[in-house]
Amino acid sequence: MSNATTTTAQENLWGGGRSPYNVSYGKMMMWFFLLSDALTFGALLISYGTTRFFSTVWPDANQVFKSFPFMGEHNLPLLFVSLMTFILIMSSVTMVLAVHAGHYGDKKSVTKWLLWTIIGGICFLACQAWEWTHLASECGGLWGCFTDVNTPVHEFKHFFNLESKEVQNVFNVQPLVAMQSTHNFFNYFFTITGFHGGHVTSGVIFNILMLVNTVNGTYERRGHYEMVEKIGLYWHFVDLVWVFVFTCFYLL
Amino acid sequence: MSAHHNTDSNLHYYEGDQSKLYSGIMSHHDDINSAEAKGQVKKIWKIFWLLLVITIVEVFIGMQLSHTMPKALVAFIFLGLTLVKAGYIVAIFMHLGDEFKGFMITVLIPLILFFWFIIAFLADGGFWLHMNDHSPARSHVAAKVAE
Repeated sequence: MSNATTTTAQENLWGGGRSPYNVSYGKMMMWFFLLSDALTFGALLISYGTTRFFSTVWPDANQVFKSFPFMGEHNLPLLFVSLMTFILIMSSVTMVLAVHAGHYGDKKSVTKWLLWTIIGGICFLACQAWEWTHLASECGGLWGCFTDVNTPVHEFKHFFNLESKEVQNVFNVQPLVAMQSTHNFFNYFFTITGFHGGHVTSGVIFNILMLVNTVNGTYERRGHYEMVEKIGLYWHFVDLVWVFVFTCFYLL
Repeated sequence: MSAHHNTDSNLHYYEGDQSKLYSGIMSHHDDINSAEAKGQVKKIWKIFWLLLVITIVEVFIGMQLSHTMPKALVAFIFLGLTLVKAGYIVAIFMHLGDEFKGFMITVLIPLILFFWFIIAFLADGGFWLHMNDHSPARSHVAAKVAE
């Protein structure tokens, strides 16, 4: 393309009457909101990482997250959280299919896929509720546990990988260091998964509102399903955050 | 395209009928049974399977290999796979890969800040650990317990 044509094209693009980035105001603002939300989640996860870096020992995910509903004392590390991850990825797929159907103005498909997305979101929240209840019963509460210096060692020892030489050493010499780590671990866990769960909850509410609007034909009359796309962005972002939460808390 | 849009003039002001600004994949199409539409759905499911396989690999490493492999290598693998997953979600599910390049860059540039955040804060945490491990107070307690 010659210089002259480029200039003309640029002038037409930025001259008004059309969107230079080909996105509407609402969608662009949703992206910018998600950007700020990413920084918030990033701050939480990085402070978690910093605390972990300055801790000599840290609870082991395979020991903390080894339970599954109705399985009692069976040792099933990471299985339950894998199920939660699967549910959330699945609901992301149904959401993107709803957005896809929206591009084609297919009201019936949008309704169907939004419904599945809502079901997925509720299943995820139910799983999280179970996990929180389970851990709260192991810790004796949610935030602020393991602060009493007289806490018996056996109440937090099982959260650690006791085969590690370093862990054995700390428990022999200074069990309170391990208790401080346990306290930090659970405070961060409940804060970050709670903040994420709050996002899922609001996402489910938005999805329900959209489902009502879709069924009522609001978007059909409006001529486009852009609202599905915007809330879809939010929903995928929640899935995206979970990918990082999953890595930081359950894998690393 | 106009036939697809609403005829109620008030609704145009309601959301500014911004949909007409779109083009390409983001615009309104008519036939959901077209080969193009079906291809897009196929792509979505392909990404789903990819994400699922990556997650299974991650869980397998976390359960079976994380205690025998070097810590740094495990962390490197997990973070790499996480970024791959994040990339697919943003590019395909959130359609950022289908947006104009200028918009992609606008959204992604602020995230560069994270490189600095992570380096700075983890270095700080590491230094803190170093100070704690070498603090006279801690060796004093350890010595006392050993007695």
